[in-house]
Amino acid sequence: MKEVLKTSKLLIGYKKALLPEISVSLNEGDIVALAGPNGSGKTTLFKTLSANIKPIGGEISLFGKSLRDYSPSEHSSLFSLVLTEKPDDLFLKVFDIVSAGRYPHLGLLAKLKPEDESLIAESLETVGISHLADRNFVSLSDGEQQKVMIAKALVQDTPLIFMDEPAAFLDYPSKIELVNIMHKLSREKRKTILFSSHDLDLLLRHADKMWVMAPQQPLRQGTPKELVEQGIIDAYFKPIVAKEEFYWMK
Amino acid sequence: MASCKRPIYLILLGIVILGVILFAMNLRYGSVAIPWTEFWAALSGSQGSTYRAIIIEYRLPQAITALLAGIGLSVSGLLMQTLFRNPLADPSLLGISSGSSLGVAFVVLVAGGIGGVTFNTISLWSTFGITLAAFVGAFAVLLLILALSSRLKSMVSLVLVGIMIAYIAGSVTDILKFFSQKEGLHSFVIWGMGSFSNVGMTQMPFFALAVMVGAFASFLLFKTLNLLLLGERYAENLGVNIKRSSMLIILVSGFLTAIITAFCGPIAFLGLAVPHIARFLFQTSDHKLLIPATAFLGMDLALFCNLISRLPSFDGNLPINSVTALIGAPIVLWVIFHRQHYSQTQ
Repeated sequence: MKEVLKTSKLLIGYKKALLPEISVSLNEGDIVALAGPNGSGKTTLFKTLSANIKPIGGEISLFGKSLRDYSPSEHSSLFSLVLTEKPDDLFLKVFDIVSAGRYPHLGLLAKLKPEDESLIAESLETVGISHLADRNFVSLSDGEQQKVMIAKALVQDTPLIFMDEPAAFLDYPSKIELVNIMHKLSREKRKTILFSSHDLDLLLRHADKMWVMAPQQPLRQGTPKELVEQGIIDAYFKPIVAKEEFYWMK
Repeated sequence: MASCKRPIYLILLGIVILGVILFAMNLRYGSVAIPWTEFWAALSGSQGSTYRAIIIEYRLPQAITALLAGIGLSVSGLLMQTLFRNPLADPSLLGISSGSSLGVAFVVLVAGGIGGVTFNTISLWSTFGITLAAFVGAFAVLLLILALSSRLKSMVSLVLVGIMIAYIAGSVTDILKFFSQKEGLHSFVIWGMGSFSNVGMTQMPFFALAVMVGAFASFLLFKTLNLLLLGERYAENLGVNIKRSSMLIILVSGFLTAIITAFCGPIAFLGLAVPHIARFLFQTSDHKLLIPATAFLGMDLALFCNLISRLPSFDGNLPINSVTALIGAPIVLWVIFHRQHYSQTQ
């Protein structure tokens, strides 16, 4: 299996490290769920892996080369993002957003070549929103907006996709649809996907592999089954559940 | 965009043709009524007539100035609105026009008071002096903003810095006004109302070149501007160097504002209003279309306002600033109400 991403002794945070050293890796075609309660550092890890903030220590390598040795403009062909923040311009069309994913591959005048056009059409098709291409982005539902941002990531044509809380505002059917799309991308297009979520139910049922985080705890990796059997899920999520979510039951 | 159903090129062509008609009307109509026969004679070049002097030496430079200022301010406003992702942003946001007001205040009020020189409205020296002062003030603020922008992390802090600079410049200007002579104050107030008639044919090539360079540079930024609409992190992932791009956008937008404010005074409203009209008319936020559309619409609106400001019945010009707001505000209100309707139904 081809190794896409690897961290060694990575320390993340702003000035002070949030977690002990992280040494993990992603292989081609993996779908890995980054799980942890709110405030455990999921977003910070995402921002660090996507070169938005610098690590405090340690090393991140993509395809065997240190992230630091890639130029910022090379990042756009290595990994694409699906974020919780969404465009809010009233006149932004679905097609405009998805085709913006192609910009790094285009010249000064951003003229779309036939192969770009067909890639855009294919990506809209893959996530099932071809019929929405002319719609205004802000008029779509949360689930549809999420698919637009995934189509943008596909058009960008990167081997690695980071999705920060992609299921956050979705209803249950949309969550299942999202998981199906992710599986399709990994099987048919050999994409490697790292996504974060604090929706434990969804993760335990549908993730192949998980990275589990909790404040000041070491990051642990494994399949949902392994992590449950080793008691890690209990240990990492229970304190939060016991302390906050069910206080009214005591 | 390939998938757009609106006849974009027809609308764009219509706007340009409207601009040509408005330009011709700017030459044709004014406080002095010129008979048609004399009008054609003057245009075809019969020397020495008074009418020719009015048209060629007065109305023509005024129309060209209005056209250029309309283009420059509107594009500059669009750049600010996209950079700060704020529909209320306009060219004055970063305090550049306040800087030029301060420059003019120094020359008109202080030099007038101390040196006993009265800057009356008509003399050539005073026009040149005022332009130069406005220029120095505007570029001083622009350089200050650029220097500070490299040290600030967020766009919001940058806007706050701009607003603070505007306040400081504004209050110093007020203090100067408080201590100044009546005549100086009068010229300063007149300058503040804005005018398209201060650019003579000798300065015109410089003014035209500067605005054209600014407008063209804005167009070259359209990819960056489109990506910024997605949000900073998406833009960054798609290859935009946020810090360098913001500085470049501020430089281009600020340069246009500084040049136009120096020559025409602080013209309000065009920069705020026109981008909204363009977005609504073309139903797009794609800057590849939006920048030319905004430029041509700005040209039309400025020419129209200039025409209104010297309707035949008025003796002399109405202050252009009051006219731009008077005409622009209802248009923006109309757009806002239709936009609300639009986003609900789509």
